Amino acid sequence: MDGCHDAGCDASEIDADSTLALVGCPNVGKSVVFGELAEQYVDVSNYPGTTVDTTLAEFGDYQLTDTPGVYGISAFDEEERVTREIVLEADAVVNVVDATHLDRDLFLTLQLLDMGIPTVVALNMMDEAEAGGIDVDVEALEEALGVPVVPTVAIDGEGFDELRERVPEATAPESTDIEAYYEELPDELEASRREKTLLVEGDEDLAREADVGGVMADGGSPALVDPGLREEVYGQRRSRVQSIVDSVQNVTRTDESIGDRLSDLMINPLTGTPIALAVLGLIYYFIGDLVAQRLVDKLEGEILAAHYIPAVESFVGGLLPEAGWIEPIEFLLINDNLGLLTVTVQYIVGTLLPLVIAFYLAIGVLEDSGVLPRLAVLTDRGLNRIGLNGRAVVPMIVGVGCVTMAVITTRMVGSKRERTISTALLGLGIPCSAQLGVIMGLMAGLGLIYWFGYLGILLVVLGVAGVFLDRTLPGESEALVTELPRMRIPRPGNILRKTYNRAKMFLREAIPLFAVTALAISALDYVGGLAAIQDGLRPLTSLVGMPTDFGQILVLGLIRRDFAAAGMTDMALSSAQVFIGLVVITLFVPCILAMVMILKERDAKSAILMWLGSWVVAFGVGGLLAAAFGVIA
Amino acid sequence: MSEVLADVGSGESVQLVDVPDENTRARLLRLGFLDGSVECRHHIRKGPVIVRHNGTELALGAALAEEIEIERPTAEASD
Ligand SMILES: Nc1nc2c(ncn2[C@@H]2O[C@H](COP(=O)(O)OP(=O)(O)O)[C@@H](O)[C@H]2O)c(=O)[nH]1
Repeated sequence: MDGCHDAGCDASEIDADSTLALVGCPNVGKSVVFGELAEQYVDVSNYPGTTVDTTLAEFGDYQLTDTPGVYGISAFDEEERVTREIVLEADAVVNVVDATHLDRDLFLTLQLLDMGIPTVVALNMMDEAEAGGIDVDVEALEEALGVPVVPTVAIDGEGFDELRERVPEATAPESTDIEAYYEELPDELEASRREKTLLVEGDEDLAREADVGGVMADGGSPALVDPGLREEVYGQRRSRVQSIVDSVQNVTRTDESIGDRLSDLMINPLTGTPIALAVLGLIYYFIGDLVAQRLVDKLEGEILAAHYIPAVESFVGGLLPEAGWIEPIEFLLINDNLGLLTVTVQYIVGTLLPLVIAFYLAIGVLEDSGVLPRLAVLTDRGLNRIGLNGRAVVPMIVGVGCVTMAVITTRMVGSKRERTISTALLGLGIPCSAQLGVIMGLMAGLGLIYWFGYLGILLVVLGVAGVFLDRTLPGESEALVTELPRMRIPRPGNILRKTYNRAKMFLREAIPLFAVTALAISALDYVGGLAAIQDGLRPLTSLVGMPTDFGQILVLGLIRRDFAAAGMTDMALSSAQVFIGLVVITLFVPCILAMVMILKERDAKSAILMWLGSWVVAFGVGGLLAAAFGVIA
Repeated sequence: MSEVLADVGSGESVQLVDVPDENTRARLLRLGFLDGSVECRHHIRKGPVIVRHNGTELALGAALAEEIEIERPTAEASD
């Protein structure tokens, strides 16, 4: 991974374990190019110390690394920091450029060349450029940049023979116009060309570590250069981009494509709202009904519960000797609440896996078609009121499927503040589909008016909680800044590959966590901890006007939310009590697995506050309802 | 008081002259939105403004649109 990070190097030194990074703006076709270039082993993992996924594969003698899509090398957000880090260490780069967006993409290209990073440009989307009347003179571009430029159509595999052949030709011009600015840096500074380029652009991390004549420049002011210099450098680079674009690109006609018209329809609230509702309805039907209800019921109920669990139980029962000391072990492995080999497996394989795959498929389609950022635009105004911006629409949609998964998708909502708010709302009041199914069943017995009451209460609670968090959390929410990529028909191959990688990644992180959690909860159960908790809950159950049995429901709710809802089916309750009970268990703490995920994604303090907050809100609202219905015992 | 992006209606072309937030300014500069004029594609009431420049479309949230100062082209000039 290291190599020429500190030394500064040129293309000729590429050796057997060189790293080749794939860099480009978002949506230029990087992941398709990656899939074309990757040979053999593909591995997805979190970039160390971050929540950003990166993919690794082999390509010839190179280790090929994907990077998050960025418009430039800097550190405006976590994705950019990851890309910056990878690029600083890369031996060579394949820069994927969208031929229809040269004016946007060449900034990054010129920045890479200014940094002196050996580069090959894959000029992708040549088919769309042609269809859109954009003529790019590839030879002139190659001449202007001074590095190989290979036209490609990634989705059809066109141009890859040439790209593979020319990767070893990766190079960067000997010097570029940025050098004039290097004079602004201290003379005694020891730094490579990549570092110098970022330093004149005001890179704070590098400035902090900068080696100025043997003395580390720490402690003092982090910037080595005048803060206004970045804009000057960017401005100069932009003018170089413009002159290149003017000389190599010829736009013969500009007509509105079907995609443009569809985009207009989606963004205009009058037409966009019904379209968005229809899309969400379709997703809900696919995930909430087809997968979460039918498929999961089949898998969990008919296959796992009917065949797998009894088989494991008798197998384990037969394997373990009859002895007193064996009993606790047997309990940990096969108890009915969260046995490691029984219910935990049933849950992961039967519920989580199908849901995870279904979600990643749906998200992949929304992403690749360009619908996602347009949904963000439509919902931005509403979400602004609760301290979020349009990007938070994703976790909220996913949350209705599975809160555990949704917590992971809060990674894409922006700053830490927004992540905290969206996670808290997810934990508090978004019922997951497993639970929603049971709730719908119980509500059906009560009548439509209760259903609306239930939804109304949830919306009010979420709204109030959002406004409260927005007012109390320090800082200000970020405004939406998002590109609207062209709308296009998604490619199944690309979506399947992304889904596979993401699902694999999710399960690899989730399974060990869940296994440990299951063992801990079972141990607590075995020593009577759960029963003690149930006793301790007595004052709370009477506060909300419920019988003591409800304590058991709550204990189940700590573990799995749908267990709680299902447990209520067998209790003798009045309509008002069913209603209050359902509201309470919806607002009550997220299931233990979601909670573990929240702990992993957020810090411990916020996770505990969220957990405690859920208790307060659930019983506060439940108490009010009980008073309103007059059911307090 | 000069005009801001939030005052611009759909279909108009304007120039973004002052973006107070330093990072947002750098991001817009990088994408080329500070060179020449940008076209306002849509303006959702009290919501985001969608601007387009050389085929790239960007949605900017309402709070940001309130901050960005603009100038309308004098007479003919547009892209
Ligand atoms: N027409 C066309 N579409 C492409 C091409 N390359 C990629 N795409 C599509 O562009 C979209 C974005 O591609 P993706 O690889 O996910 O972009 P990434 O964000 O850079 O990884 C997907 O819908 C691809 O199917 C191409 O050469 N031509």
